[in-house]
Amino acid sequence: MLETLPEVANIVLQEGTEAAAEPGIRDAGAGAIAVGLAALGTGYAQRGIGAAAVGAVAEDSDNFVSGLIFTAIPETLIIIAFVSLFLVL
Amino acid sequence: MSATGSSNPEYVNSRVRARRAALFDEEDYRKLVRMGTGEIARYMEETEYETEINALGARHSGVDLIEYALNRNLAKHFHDLLSWADGRLYTQIATYLRKFDAWNAKTAIRGVYSGASSEDIQTDYIRAGEFSGNLLDQLAAAGSVGEIVELLEGTIFEEGLDEAYAEFEEQDVLVPLENAIDKTFYEHLLDGIDENTVDRNSPQGLYLEVLQAEIDFTNIRNALRLSRTGTDLDPDEYFIEGGKLFERGELPGLVGNFEQLVERIRESTYGEDLEEALAKLEDADSLIQFEQALDAALLEYSDALSYTYPVSICSAISYVLAKEREVENIRAIARGREVGLSVEEIEEELVVT
Repeated sequence: MLETLPEVANIVLQEGTEAAAEPGIRDAGAGAIAVGLAALGTGYAQRGIGAAAVGAVAEDSDNFVSGLIFTAIPETLIIIAFVSLFLVL
Repeated sequence: MSATGSSNPEYVNSRVRARRAALFDEEDYRKLVRMGTGEIARYMEETEYETEINALGARHSGVDLIEYALNRNLAKHFHDLLSWADGRLYTQIATYLRKFDAWNAKTAIRGVYSGASSEDIQTDYIRAGEFSGNLLDQLAAAGSVGEIVELLEGTIFEEGLDEAYAEFEEQDVLVPLENAIDKTFYEHLLDGIDENTVDRNSPQGLYLEVLQAEIDFTNIRNALRLSRTGTDLDPDEYFIEGGKLFERGELPGLVGNFEQLVERIRESTYGEDLEEALAKLEDADSLIQFEQALDAALLEYSDALSYTYPVSICSAISYVLAKEREVENIRAIARGREVGLSVEEIEEELVVT
């Protein structure tokens, strides 16, 4: 992952190529990356919460509703990222 | 489910906590101490223990029924615990549950020594450890203590057992064998953890912390017992390595002087947790009360740790300890009622946090 960073930076900035005037990733592309990263964050947060929620529901199915709500809370991350996408574009 | 892959403490933690909450509380115990053995069995049938009581109800009755149901239920829960856990968490829980291997090995040795039938030994097993059903059957069917020692070769307990067996043959007492098993169990608990490099706030570090507390408490208990009885046994023989309270070679000096030993415990890191227990010890002069307070303190300590760092093995260990305590409490109540102890006397025997 880290070794490829210089290449990624090269693509982003399009350094040393003829199209130097034109960056490879424009607003839309950068926005898409932001949303993607936010989705990763959401997924990571939901991994733990989801596992705990499933455990709690398995012991007592009364916990289903609260488990579902807590599992959905990290969704706010991706929603906010989605909003900023519209702000950028 | 297996030792491979990453651990899943979140899942295990939430399941364990739900079960921890479902254990009997003070209210239940208050009801139980006023019941006869038959009533206790009926009461248990309406709780957690329904399946076990129903399965064993036809064959046993009274205290035996309660006792076997408790053992079987304990084994079931700990087996569940292992089936949920993955990765390093699994390995850690499995190592901890070897406690029951030690218990089973001791049960077999005692049973064979006292000439109990293989069936009787089998019912006393708690099948929650690592030993296979096959090995347990063989242990129960063994004709002599020597045979058991041979069967245990190849398990972690073989180390030190030969020496203990020689001693057993000489003096014909089981103590050396039982001690050897206990010591091996505790000393293997800390396998693979380097005390000096591990980070105290990582799951690994907390695992170490709980286990060290347990080892220290066992050492305290042994030291106080030896000190109280004033025997000339060598305390170093009973010493378990790995704790942080005592060093090897330190105990012989301390055991001789009861006050000094108590003072030492009071000044240690556990002083605050054991304050109440130590006060009781000095007032009442009763070791039993102190040992119960010690158990309660260990329970509270592991609980506290499981709240500070929920995403670790601590909650699982605190559950194992609490469940064991519940089983012991119910057993104490049932046995107490059977021999006709008064309610107050039984209540003194209980460890409730």
